[in-house]
Amino acid sequence: MFAELRFELGRLKGRIIGWGIGLAVYALMMVLLYPNVVSMDFDAYLKAFPPEMMAFFPGIADINAPAGYLDTYYFNYMTLIAGILAVGVGAGLVVQQEEAGILDLILAHPISRTVLFWGRYLAMLLCLAMVLLIGQVAWMLPPESAELGLTWQEFLQPCLPLWAELALFGSLALLLSLLLPSRRAASGLAGALLVGNYLLVGLANLNSDIKRIAELTPLHYYQGGYAVLGIEWGWFAGLVGVALALAVAAWALFMRRDIRVGGEHEWRLLPQRRRPAQQP
Amino acid sequence: MSYQSPAIELVGLQKSYGPVRALRGVDLTVERGEVFGFLGPNGAGKTTTIRCMLDLIRPDGGTIRALGLDPQAQPVAVQARVGYLPGELNLEPNLRVRQMLRYLGALRGNRINWGHVAELSRQLQLDLDTPVKNLSKGNKQKVGIVQALMARPELLLLDEPTSGLDPLIQQAVYRLLREAQDGGATIFFSSHVISEVEVLASRVAIIRHGRIVETLEPRQLLQMTSRRLRLRFARPADASALGELAGVSQFAQPDPLEASLVVEGAMDRLIVALAGLPVADLQTEHPSLEELFLTYYRDDGKEVA
Repeated sequence: MFAELRFELGRLKGRIIGWGIGLAVYALMMVLLYPNVVSMDFDAYLKAFPPEMMAFFPGIADINAPAGYLDTYYFNYMTLIAGILAVGVGAGLVVQQEEAGILDLILAHPISRTVLFWGRYLAMLLCLAMVLLIGQVAWMLPPESAELGLTWQEFLQPCLPLWAELALFGSLALLLSLLLPSRRAASGLAGALLVGNYLLVGLANLNSDIKRIAELTPLHYYQGGYAVLGIEWGWFAGLVGVALALAVAAWALFMRRDIRVGGEHEWRLLPQRRRPAQQP
Repeated sequence: MSYQSPAIELVGLQKSYGPVRALRGVDLTVERGEVFGFLGPNGAGKTTTIRCMLDLIRPDGGTIRALGLDPQAQPVAVQARVGYLPGELNLEPNLRVRQMLRYLGALRGNRINWGHVAELSRQLQLDLDTPVKNLSKGNKQKVGIVQALMARPELLLLDEPTSGLDPLIQQAVYRLLREAQDGGATIFFSSHVISEVEVLASRVAIIRHGRIVETLEPRQLLQMTSRRLRLRFARPADASALGELAGVSQFAQPDPLEASLVVEGAMDRLIVALAGLPVADLQTEHPSLEELFLTYYRDDGKEVA
């Protein structure tokens, strides 16, 4: 499994560095702005916000406190931003190389499908963790971060629920990639579900009927920046459990799969009648 | 003497892709140490048969034994003893050749002799430090040959091994395969080029529409087919007597300096007759696979072989 893990991490190296640096630069900008934000009078400002906006960004109400600030300016929509990475990596974990025709050669070598699958899955989880860590370290580095008054553990705490959400949507994309005809279809559908879930949870703060539906979705159990105050371990375990269940389902499909020589699968949805035997 | 199971044993192998029946009951036995050619036109089922043997795809029916093992029950045990060259070789574009081979070697538990890899690369004129994305089709094929041979496997499954290679490198590949056979390896290779099978194989199976049509020796294959001859004479000559020889048909002499004919079977009588003519040039065309199949299916679409 180590060879596969190392290979996959090597393949993901560019994305880890690129996404990590991107998040770090953004985090640096946000932490440098914090002293200005706390010194502002926000009460009149907040009254001007429409309720819909407050529903989507609940952290705005206490934006001049560390948890609210981290939530509003970073963790609230990081599910969407880093979600793009998670969905892309998940959908391509197995199928990208299959569509490129490389998996055929790799699986002809003495590596079991189980080892290949879980080696790559572990690489995906590590990739997501590394990207989040690089971004989070940037929150802690400049002297202005002292204004937030958080310990390094408290700084890192919101990364855990975010990582669990990303792992869940990455696993969903992985499962879809093995069910749908192509990686593009899987990443498109998983991305749409992620955005839909984000909107649903935001709208649920305005409508109690929607709230009951939202409670059945993963983003309802996302703490965002408020995890600096303490992690809801039950929610975290639940999200990780669902992610693993999706991964196990994907693994079961991969074990039964006929590996393609290359290209996308057929887009035909209904099974076709078998052709009669051709006469030679 | 202890019994050694055949290197490959296929019984009633069937595989469909949705409505398309790719294999319709393939029966085949390849003994250990044999070089076995698997001949068939595109879409005949050659690649599907090979990929079933490696558990890359699962058959719908029939049984497979590779080196005495069931690839579906013990895929890793089979793959550890097999070297495979895919028909359409694709490699990780962001790696160098050496990195790609190291990765594939790591999948084999790093039990690769890198001196052997360097020697294979030298013989095939392959630069190990070239990025994969810069490789031509022929050079990619060389990487495929090296990775298939580098672990000195007991069984080589090669899907069109010389596809895209120039004639000199083709000869080097033939040499490497003979060396592998001398080392005890069994070689099972697919091709749609009769001359390649003739050079390498000790036995040949012909597959068409997912069924084995015939298993025979390469020389039998060539005897069954007709060859077209084109003659050019140094001075005007009457070659009409050639058209009367047994086995000769479609004789034509459009002008006194040229003639063409088709000959079936042995050529000795024709060569004797040619000795009396002022032959300046003689060209023979190898029969194509299509011509071979015409031999098989010429009697109103019924198999004759």
